[in-house]
Amino acid sequence: MTSFPLKIVTPDGLEYDGKAEEVCVRTTSGELGVLAGHLNMVAPLGMGMATIVIDGKKRYAACIGGMISVMNKEVTLVPTTFEWAEEIDVKRAEASEERAKKVLADKAAEKTEIRMAEARLKRALIRKSTATFVNN
Amino acid sequence: MAGVSTKEIKNRIRSMESTKQITKAMEMVAASKLRRAQAQVLSSRPYFEILYSTINEIVDNNSDFTSAYLVKRPVKKSLYVVIAGDRGLAGGYNSNILKLVYAEMQGKNATVLPIGKKAVDFFRARKMPMLSADHMVAEDIGVGDCFTIAKTVCKAYKEGQFDEVFVGYTNFVSVLSQTPATLQMLPLLRQETSRAASGSDILYEPGSVEVFDAIIPEYVGGILYGALCESRASEQAARRTAMDSATQNADEMIADLSLKFNRARQAAITQEITEIVAGS
Repeated sequence: MTSFPLKIVTPDGLEYDGKAEEVCVRTTSGELGVLAGHLNMVAPLGMGMATIVIDGKKRYAACIGGMISVMNKEVTLVPTTFEWAEEIDVKRAEASEERAKKVLADKAAEKTEIRMAEARLKRALIRKSTATFVNN
Repeated sequence: MAGVSTKEIKNRIRSMESTKQITKAMEMVAASKLRRAQAQVLSSRPYFEILYSTINEIVDNNSDFTSAYLVKRPVKKSLYVVIAGDRGLAGGYNSNILKLVYAEMQGKNATVLPIGKKAVDFFRARKMPMLSADHMVAEDIGVGDCFTIAKTVCKAYKEGQFDEVFVGYTNFVSVLSQTPATLQMLPLLRQETSRAASGSDILYEPGSVEVFDAIIPEYVGGILYGALCESRASEQAARRTAMDSATQNADEMIADLSLKFNRARQAAITQEITEIVAGS
């Protein structure tokens, strides 16, 4: 398959810089797949699992927030957090899930707390599902 | 008489030595913090640069001006996000950035969002209006906080509370050189030099307004985080250099004082001998 240059950067550093054949991410308006020669495009990212095909091999990652842009056949992925499935700490995600659930179960919790807990729960679930998806 | 002066000099040497110990310790603390901050700057720089260039590219190719973030409004009120340190004794670090921003604010109807205790104190003393003084400790602010600040700033901008937003930070050029700078974050303006819409239209998914509304706060957050990393590294570098020269100065003064002390002691001994010889 034809490949295209792909860059993935997060505030923690450059995650990937090289060739890829396919990028599939979850944007705010749904799943989006990008192949070589895509039209110039910008889309904000939602929360979900990203699939990236490098040298015919699929790699998975939990990809949350940020944006994807295609400019002159170059794809740039700028997520807020991006973790390759192999690097996800499942125990940490589970602990975070537990904590978030506790807050949500608490009737006395404040509105902002609930909102933050909901976001945390969602992030934890995505991490967990991405990691388990790869392991199975 | 000579006795009193040797005692005085001795005291001064002692106090100088304890000061030297403090500055030496501070230098070492700053050096180890600098190493960490430097690593952080290096890892966040690609993000900062790619985010900046990507957004600028999008804006330059944009021919659709429906988003409030891209439209220049007549400037009535400006907002400055100023990043300084929490503590002093860092050479000119705090005063350089604060002076630069303060000078730029003159003649403008400016509001500040200070980050770091020194910035909060500075603008409070000058009675500048502040958006919030919640960010007293620059050292504890993480990526999440930057995005929260960005959301607040973008919301205020969209509601028309401010017509332009700047960030004032210190660029970490090297361990020996740091330069204060300001950067305009909002509105995002097309550069005049860029090629005029060369037919390379961009697809916005789902729509250009939604895209910019979602992306610009992320962009502002990313820029803030980058600026914060640069500033933090600059602060440690400035403190290390300042403390290094303070230690050197203390060394010089101690050497000078010991010379004086030895001379005074010698003089006292000579005087005593002369007295004994004269008396016998």
